[in-house]
Amino acid sequence: MKFTIFHESRIGKRNDNEDRLAYCYSRDALLMVVADGMGGHLHGEVASQIAVQHLTDAFQRESLPRLPDPFLFLSWGFTEAHHAIADYAAAHGLAEAPRTTCVACVVQESIAYWAHAGDSRLYVIRDGRVLARTRDHSSVQAMIDQGRITADEARRHPARNRVYSCLGGDHAPQIDFSRKTTLAAGDIIVLCSDGVWGALDEGTLVTTLANANVMTGVPRLLDEAEARGGETCDNLSLIALNWEENYGDDTTSMIETRTMPLDTHTTLMEGFESSRPRDRELTEDDIERAIEEIRGAIQKYSR
Amino acid sequence: MPSQQSNQPLPPGFRLDRYRIERQLSLGGFSIVYLAYDEEETPVAIKEYLPNSLALRSAGIVPVVSEEHRNAFRHGMKCFFEEGRSLAHLSHPNVVRVLNFFRANETVYMVMQYERGRTLHEHIRKCKGAIGESFVRNVFSRLLNGLREVHTQKLLHLDIKPANIYLRTDGSPVLLDFGAARQALSSDGPSLKPMYTPGFAAPEQYEAPDQLGPWTDIYAVGASIYTTMGGAAPPAASARLVKDELVPAAKCWAGKYSKQLLDTVDWCMQLDYLERPLSVFALQKALAEGGAAQHAPSWVDTLSRRLRGLIGK
Repeated sequence: MKFTIFHESRIGKRNDNEDRLAYCYSRDALLMVVADGMGGHLHGEVASQIAVQHLTDAFQRESLPRLPDPFLFLSWGFTEAHHAIADYAAAHGLAEAPRTTCVACVVQESIAYWAHAGDSRLYVIRDGRVLARTRDHSSVQAMIDQGRITADEARRHPARNRVYSCLGGDHAPQIDFSRKTTLAAGDIIVLCSDGVWGALDEGTLVTTLANANVMTGVPRLLDEAEARGGETCDNLSLIALNWEENYGDDTTSMIETRTMPLDTHTTLMEGFESSRPRDRELTEDDIERAIEEIRGAIQKYSR
Repeated sequence: MPSQQSNQPLPPGFRLDRYRIERQLSLGGFSIVYLAYDEEETPVAIKEYLPNSLALRSAGIVPVVSEEHRNAFRHGMKCFFEEGRSLAHLSHPNVVRVLNFFRANETVYMVMQYERGRTLHEHIRKCKGAIGESFVRNVFSRLLNGLREVHTQKLLHLDIKPANIYLRTDGSPVLLDFGAARQALSSDGPSLKPMYTPGFAAPEQYEAPDQLGPWTDIYAVGASIYTTMGGAAPPAASARLVKDELVPAAKCWAGKYSKQLLDTVDWCMQLDYLERPLSVFALQKALAEGGAAQHAPSWVDTLSRRLRGLIGK
């Protein structure tokens, strides 16, 4: 396999990064995962971590060097991750199981297979156009499908963050599977959390990635999403894969797996440490300043 | 676990900045509210930031915050500032007024106008179910004027209930005690638990704090009207999610209140927030529209009843 891959996760303007992402490859198979822990529920980052960890562990056990059945792998992986989150909640006496969305993609023998639960998305971009995209398990997507609202209205809809399928939580997840999609040289596969796609229109996402190497396109895309996310910018996570059938010009960042031993894996995962809250502590100065500001407002607005 | 210990209030007569503490008015999970007097002997209400689970005042005046809770304590303080900042920008007759904000005893204090009267909660208990439709429409429409202003400032109250609605002696309502639940929203670490008042907290406050919005306060307004009508709080939303045993207002009090008003209450108390009025304005419209339709006949009724009384004599 030959591909270029780029990933990045940013905290946005939130106190915690509850997104987790990972990719992992053997000589013949590649796995990419993005999970977005659900903000409202406590321990969202625990759920996303468990999901990502579980899928990569299973991938490393089973892809030696390739998965016997990628769809079966995804199906089991999602279901087991769902139960693992419930077990964690039970073991730690949590009142309710934490939840996470999850999107995962396997590529082997130039064929992509993917599955998702929730509203983290996968796009396949070919020749500057969206070849395939996951359908969010969200109420607004359902409303769009029924023709009740437009995609633009969905952006501002109060229920835009509400998903009806996820890993963890009380209900069994609804997991949707893709068709087997044969990749061609130059295809781009993007996995991202709603912090990314929610802030960008599809056109921007596609053109930015299609017109640049993923190594340069992704940071630019995240900058753009972060800027548009403004003061309440959500966590942003994205993995982009550039599939290369032939040897490309840029060999420095390209991964060539043909020379890898059969029983090894390369795994990259964003850990807990790298995304710890960067919540700055309130200093004495901050306190004084806040009090001054409030007093000023009281003066100004008092009758 | 220190979470259940309760904090000692400042003693009566204590000099706090330029105020003199008279007595404790209320004790909540995040704060203590005192009645105090300023130098001109004007009564004020002072709210002291003192989260139960993080800071402990037992022997001394300065509360003890353990090293482990320091971050969470400071984080909560940030939220207390948010509340002060938002309230400072609000000047509305139906929203409690902030007069001052200061720092002392290693914590922070918010000084608010002290209102005379009683809470709606006390009023309901005194009236024992004898509260009429016009009172309900009148008090809540005016209260919603205040709440609309609150939402305009991008603040949610999140703890609206009869005990937080104050009725001045002239009958006008004032919304009190802001931001109790708000403080828990984005905390990290061992921290401030969200505070709900069962019966008034909307389902999303229990299970999806990322979906809070004006509709969350609207649920609480609906529950408050329900309580005003029936004298008791409705079942908690968490219980309703499991098995909904709420008897709709339209069923409980048909005949006693107009159908339009009862339907409005049930509309507010939908478990799915998309089914509720999505803004205060929508709710106000419903209260006003029905009120207008109601008003004429009830006025005629009253007059004719009086006339009949006169003739009877």
